[in-house]
Amino acid sequence: MLEVRGLSACYGKHRALDGVGLSVARGEIVVILGANGAGKTTLLKAIVGLVPPIRGARVTLDGSDLVGLPSHAIVEAGIALVPEGRGIFAELTVRENLLLGAYAARARLKEASNLQRVLGLFPRLEERFRQVVRTMSGGEQQMVAIGRALMSAPEILLLDEPSLGLSPLLCRELFQVLAGIRGNGIGILLVEQNAKQSLNIADRGLLIETGRIVGQGSAAELKDDPAVRRAYFGAAAPGADGATGSRG
Amino acid sequence: MLPGLILGGMYALVAMGLTLQYGVARIMNLSYGEFLVAAALATFFLYTGLGVSPLLGLLIAVPAAYVLNWAIYQLLLVPLVRRAKNRDMLEVDSILATFGMLFVVQGLAHVLVGGQYYSYSYLSIPLSILGSTVALNRLIALLFAALIGLALYFALTRTRAGMAIRAVAVDPVSAGLVAIDVRRASAFAFALGGALVAAAGVLVSVFLTLNASMGVVFTTKALIVVIMGGVGNLLGALLAGLVLGLAETAVARLIDPGLTLAANFALFLIVLLWRPTGLFGGAAR
Ligand SMILES: Nc1ncnc2c1ncn2[C@@H]1O[C@H](COP(=O)(O)OP(=O)(O)OP(=O)(O)O)[C@@H](O)[C@H]1O
Ligand SMILES: [Mg+2]
Repeated sequence: MLEVRGLSACYGKHRALDGVGLSVARGEIVVILGANGAGKTTLLKAIVGLVPPIRGARVTLDGSDLVGLPSHAIVEAGIALVPEGRGIFAELTVRENLLLGAYAARARLKEASNLQRVLGLFPRLEERFRQVVRTMSGGEQQMVAIGRALMSAPEILLLDEPSLGLSPLLCRELFQVLAGIRGNGIGILLVEQNAKQSLNIADRGLLIETGRIVGQGSAAELKDDPAVRRAYFGAAAPGADGATGSRG
Repeated sequence: MLPGLILGGMYALVAMGLTLQYGVARIMNLSYGEFLVAAALATFFLYTGLGVSPLLGLLIAVPAAYVLNWAIYQLLLVPLVRRAKNRDMLEVDSILATFGMLFVVQGLAHVLVGGQYYSYSYLSIPLSILGSTVALNRLIALLFAALIGLALYFALTRTRAGMAIRAVAVDPVSAGLVAIDVRRASAFAFALGGALVAAAGVLVSVFLTLNASMGVVFTTKALIVVIMGGVGNLLGALLAGLVLGLAETAVARLIDPGLTLAANFALFLIVLLWRPTGLFGGAAR
């Protein structure tokens, strides 16, 4: 279980995170909703040690403290991040990206079986195994990013807007894959703009505004909350996602 | 052709070391060539003083340079790495720091061996191959450069540790996210680069006449080759080194030896205008 208490972070004088607390258990999807600039990316970066938290924060995985560790040690402890903008190695091949995902000592023994599992989730990656990632489509690159994170055999997977730039069809597939990953006992902390679809697969949700958690509840509660509907579902009526509307 | 290949092979070896230090550790090492000269002079004294053959000297100089450069990284450069907010800042800081180191190393060399030129004769047996006459010692140097270069290339592309080094060159933040200890990988790459330039120093010492203030020449050449090949691109450094060696030799042979430096920079400019990120693009291939 990932537990975060009193997590704050600053960029210079600007406080981007202010006393955030949350928890993610194995086999559960927690979604974080918030407007642009609310601090979602900063929250994920602070958890994995890319942004230094302000003193007094507690970030623990199964009780062991992670604050102050460099990000390679945090991955080694069992937390993997699929960062905003994917962060894959564009000049390397799919194969190299996935094998690098298993660089963590915790993942090496299980490298072959994890690779089979990832290629099972994303058969496209097997077809493109030796292709340089830079030359692949955005959707395929997102698969590489998620596949690479899974290769590190994480307990908890953090994803920063994975659906960004995907077609409605791919988007639906992506959320199905995430639900499947949860089924394997991995906990998922998901940052999303696509509130509707993410709440459809999530167990719980948190609302973040200017660096603070301002609301939380079960996915079903949040879906029916009028304030959430106004803020995150836009003008669209429920059930009509995506104007391009691919049928079937 | 063969003399061009020999020169190019040396350039390639020197540049591969610098591309590791700069491409992976992001240290722009202006004192790089000084370490080549130091290794060459050490080989001279080992050979003339103690009768240690240069090839055996390789076995002494390379591990010693690895350890020395690792220590330099940990003691002198890690404070800069800690302080730097990003890689560009580290690059600027490292230029200043290694510029200082250049004078320290050069000064020490002057105190120890003075300003005169050194050379020795080792296997300088003329051989006639492919229509040109070359000394055996140059051929041996080429052979060793090729072996070292290829071994390094395969180690970096075929092993897990090598893949990690290339990942740091491509994107250090993402490298941390796949559990690579970026600082340790950088120290390793810096030390490996230092070991390579020492190997190059030993090899050129068998046929070049050197003095303690010639390091800058090698640093400049290495920089040109690194940029031509694409920063952090090992195969690029190898090929660009060969191209430069061949071009210089051809110009010296066919036009005028005085024009090699001009040809050198002309080639550099053409490559930069035509392909600003180097002949073979960015890092890590
Ligand atoms: N490197 C940085 N330097 C300075 N300020 C930053 C930096 N990164 C983010 N910020 C600021 O911190 C606040 C939170 O940014 P963050 O990226 O966490 O938002 P976000 O919720 O992920 O937004 P989005 O939905 O647009 O990705 C913003 O006001 C942003 O301008
Ligand atoms: Mg963001």
